Amino acid sequence: MNEGRIGIAVGATMLLTVVAAGIAVPLLSEFHPNELVAIPFRPPSREYFFGTDQLGRDVFTRVFAAVHRDLGVAFLGVSIPLVLGTAIGILLSLATSRVVAALTTSLIDAINALPLLVLAIALIALFGPGLQSIVIVLAMTNWARYARIARTRADVVARMPYIEAARLQGYPRHRILLRHFVPNVSAETLAYALSDVILVIMLISGLSFLSLGAAPPTAEWGVMMSEGRPFVQNAWWMTIFPGLALCWAGIGLSFIAEGLSRRERGAGE
Amino acid sequence: MAMPERSSPDVEQARSRLLKKVTARLARAAAVSFWVMVIAFGLIRLAPGDPVLARLGAEAAPEAIDRLRHALRLDVDPATQFVEYTWGMLHGRLGTSIETQRDVATIIAESLPVTLGIIAVTLAMALVVAVPLALAIATSRRPWVPYLFRATTSVMLAIPAFFTALVGLIVFGLHWQIAPIIGYEPGFPANLRFLWLPALVICTHLVPVLSRVLHASLVQTRGEEFVETGIIRGVSRLRFTWFYLLKPSLAPSIVLLSYMVGVMIGSTVIIETIFSLPGIGRSLVGAVINRDYPLVQGIVLVFGLFVVAVSLAGDLLANWLDPRVGAT
Repeated sequence: MNEGRIGIAVGATMLLTVVAAGIAVPLLSEFHPNELVAIPFRPPSREYFFGTDQLGRDVFTRVFAAVHRDLGVAFLGVSIPLVLGTAIGILLSLATSRVVAALTTSLIDAINALPLLVLAIALIALFGPGLQSIVIVLAMTNWARYARIARTRADVVARMPYIEAARLQGYPRHRILLRHFVPNVSAETLAYALSDVILVIMLISGLSFLSLGAAPPTAEWGVMMSEGRPFVQNAWWMTIFPGLALCWAGIGLSFIAEGLSRRERGAGE
Repeated sequence: MAMPERSSPDVEQARSRLLKKVTARLARAAAVSFWVMVIAFGLIRLAPGDPVLARLGAEAAPEAIDRLRHALRLDVDPATQFVEYTWGMLHGRLGTSIETQRDVATIIAESLPVTLGIIAVTLAMALVVAVPLALAIATSRRPWVPYLFRATTSVMLAIPAFFTALVGLIVFGLHWQIAPIIGYEPGFPANLRFLWLPALVICTHLVPVLSRVLHASLVQTRGEEFVETGIIRGVSRLRFTWFYLLKPSLAPSIVLLSYMVGVMIGSTVIIETIFSLPGIGRSLVGAVINRDYPLVQGIVLVFGLFVVAVSLAGDLLANWLDPRVGAT
């Protein structure tokens, strides 16, 4: 119980600092993220906190200019599959046609069987690299994970006595659906979404790192790390600082997710 | 040979239930494999716009466009394509790479061992670390140990593998120079020199997940009645650890491991690229960048079927170890 609260507090603080810095730094910084401000490969100093990159851009400004992009795309990349998957999962649980249910279930199993990164990369081959493609690809694939969870939960809800009671009282189907199924099931899928954000952020930056996501000169953590990679021996700051920002956001989210699940379990016991 | 009629109706019933469970699981694996095939097949056909134009560019000569369209068999109707594709697949034909003109099955056969090598080394490392770790934490009496364990594993899981890989490359490859930063040598002991660091990097995700699940099932097992019997009977420590604690707790971890093989295949894609290992994951990235559709399709198919097979094996093994595990 207590442990959960500490986790949430620490995680929320970490996440808020990076979001705040993501808003404040680009506003207050004297440099533009893509502006050439100094000679290339300047090590971190009082003037350029995180040094400068191979073109002489300020890494500090770029790291925090990337926050809204990485976290924003991750938000989209999670919320679209969350809504889609929850809806499909509930409908699947209520489906009366056995054939449709069996076919959809095995499609869900197949999508979940393929490693997300592999499927995402293969689909990017079709849509072309870019952050937009990543959001489309996530919408096409990741819903299956939510649908799986939603379906399992909806099956449990369907057997609850209050559903029977609502039916006997003659409430219309859509009312039962919206008042009972949707809130109950989405509590579960939302909890998963929280830990999924971390995976999706890693996917976005990982794909960009492989030159399959955002493209230079975009300020994005994965792009910056891949730009720094050839110079990692002498200009480690180009790779390490964007990486640390990525880890910082991920760890914050992870603590929040862990804390919430501990609290839930504590309340259940 | 006549079997002695000894099996009671109870045993008979349990056997038929098991048979039913296994058949259901096999049927599910077959259905999933079918969809994996359809997904791999649909990859090119799903493309918005024309995949041939996307590869050749809009100003390509019409003859070249027709030739590629014919090579990809996009000039016949989808049903025929699917039949041809399935037929070829059953005979081990996965098409020809557009980029290198080489047989896709051969390319996969060459690069798959490298990827399997990474996975094998990773699994071995993870087991060696995670099993003692989970046991130590589950049997520890200090109250802060589980908290520290959960916090540390949360942190480790939130650090992307490609960041760990880059840091590992800087520290072990460039600074201490105890790991090669490029190149690969096939063959069993020789390849370990190139595989240990990539495997270690993947372990930073696998060990936390595995030790968490094993820890959770150890804690659950510890509460069972037979464990108390073991303590009262005073069996030796080693025997107690293996028979009373570890063995009954293994099934969930095996299911998890078979699932994690799929996740690991995902991470090998990035790890192979960073460490320049000639595995199937790096081939996939190259194929995507070159828009080499037959190769992408072949790799997705092989990955998918491999994952389905491993997860089937994991479920059956777990069921055999612990029949309480339901076929879900």
